[in-house]
Amino acid sequence: MTARPTPLCLSLLTVAAWALSLAVLSARAELFVAALPLVLVLAALALRPSIPDYALTHEVSTDWVFEGDTVTVTVAVAGRSAVPLMEVIEPLPYGSELASGRNRAVMALRPGQTASFRYEVRWTGRGMHDLGAVVVRGRDRWGIRAWERRHVDRTSVRVYPRIAPLRSLPRPFHTQASVGDYTSPALGEGIEPGNIRQFTPGDRIRQVNWRASLRLGSLYVTQRHRERNADVVLMLDTLTEVGVAPETTLDLGVRAAASLATAYLARKDRVGLILYGGLMDWVRPGSGRTQYERLAGTLLRADVVFTYVAKDLAVVPPRVLSPHALVIAVTPLLDQRFTTAALDLAARGFDLIVLVVSPVDVTRGMLAGSETDDLACRLWALERRARLDGLRRHGLAVLEWNPAEPLEPALAGLERRRPRLAAAR
Amino acid sequence: MIRLPAAALAAVLFVVPVLTATVPAVAVLALIGLLLGAVGIATLWRWPVTSAACVFLTDYAAALWLADAPVSVAVAVGFGLSLLLLLESVELARCMRHATVDAGVARSLVTRWSGFGAATLVATFSAMALAFALAALVPYAAAPFVAATGALGAVLALAATVLRPRL
Repeated sequence: MTARPTPLCLSLLTVAAWALSLAVLSARAELFVAALPLVLVLAALALRPSIPDYALTHEVSTDWVFEGDTVTVTVAVAGRSAVPLMEVIEPLPYGSELASGRNRAVMALRPGQTASFRYEVRWTGRGMHDLGAVVVRGRDRWGIRAWERRHVDRTSVRVYPRIAPLRSLPRPFHTQASVGDYTSPALGEGIEPGNIRQFTPGDRIRQVNWRASLRLGSLYVTQRHRERNADVVLMLDTLTEVGVAPETTLDLGVRAAASLATAYLARKDRVGLILYGGLMDWVRPGSGRTQYERLAGTLLRADVVFTYVAKDLAVVPPRVLSPHALVIAVTPLLDQRFTTAALDLAARGFDLIVLVVSPVDVTRGMLAGSETDDLACRLWALERRARLDGLRRHGLAVLEWNPAEPLEPALAGLERRRPRLAAAR
Repeated sequence: MIRLPAAALAAVLFVVPVLTATVPAVAVLALIGLLLGAVGIATLWRWPVTSAACVFLTDYAAALWLADAPVSVAVAVGFGLSLLLLLESVELARCMRHATVDAGVARSLVTRWSGFGAATLVATFSAMALAFALAALVPYAAAPFVAATGALGAVLALAATVLRPRL
């Protein structure tokens, strides 16, 4: 590391030279005297520079947040030797903004003294972001010599998609073997009462329906429905997107998928994920907190990778896309390849819901709002409506969501039929 | 906040020549310097401040020449220190812009500047004493050439120090 003269040196040199020239020309000693402080400061450049010794620590309040949340960054500098003036800068990572405080600080330290500063960073979009690359620019006593050092103590912050609370969710047609929140048609252990039948050996006494038994003169038992969970697979279209980050159709789709995953996991369902795009990625269905982290980790990496290759769902293992799973396809329906995949799933008898993130509203939000823009958007909306009606005629449960409105009302308006009935049409 | 001392220093640099010679031309030149200084302090650009410093110097030289007053070392030291601190404070303001400034910075600056002021005063009076002693040795006719050579030598030495390549 080398200390280099700062631009201030050139200013001082210019003024000193001008003062000395004027002194000679005007033959006034005062101008020599006026030049003396400048000359003395510049003469300090001839001395050997001493680079200050210090220790820098960088702390981040948390390593994960949701979109829109803030992270507090604390940078502390402990001076081992005297530090005349030090500028500490931490450039903000892409996609972040300063919520409070400043990410630059200027400090002067005595030996053994510690100074710190803190600021809050807000991330508007999901993703994995790195913090901890701090640049320190030191100056000598008169600011005529500067040196620069870069400290890298990388800390990754995961920014998960924002979650909207969802209470009413599309109900799966098929349930699985594990215990959950859905009442299964199958009879067995449960709390939901079903039919009443005559007592047979092996029935438990507590199953006896005493009221019916007294009325009918022999023992009767109440059968109960089992409570079962379901497999839900979220299929996210990453083939294409429209809009400006962090409000693209993909970002909105990711938020919808994260909200659905959270809501289904809270119902003890097993939730899986397929990223259907230039690069296929998936997460096997599972339940619990760990599964949420797995899903969120995959969702925050979701990005559009351009490809001409038509992806096939055949590459997805059956354990990920089980035949009895409820598949919720989250898509702006801009790429024909995704429509084909959705139709393929429906034709194979999957319990499929297509949640369409309306690209028209996202695009309308980006435009200036002129009459022509409005007309074009209206025409596009009509064209899309006709297309969605076409998909509905194929038996797909299609749900259009305007991202300006909450997701829950859109989900509540869903009407569905059994896939078997739909296929018969 | 650092802009306030810079503005005060610019005001000092404006006042000194005007008080030295109460001539309209000096006042006009001082006003130009003040305007350049104001632009530099407001925008924190280096070139207006450097230009302002040069204009103030020219104005001071003109005022001294017009007034033909006796030599005042204390005022000249004050003028020189004001020039230095004006340039320094604008540079610091650039550095502190949009930054969190630790309380120790102001304390350190005040200590440094007052210490340097005192040291400069002592150095100046020592240099003046030395100059009076040496002046007796230099023939009167050769004095301007000695002064010019000395000034040129000092400028070249400083330029070499500033511009020398560093590894």
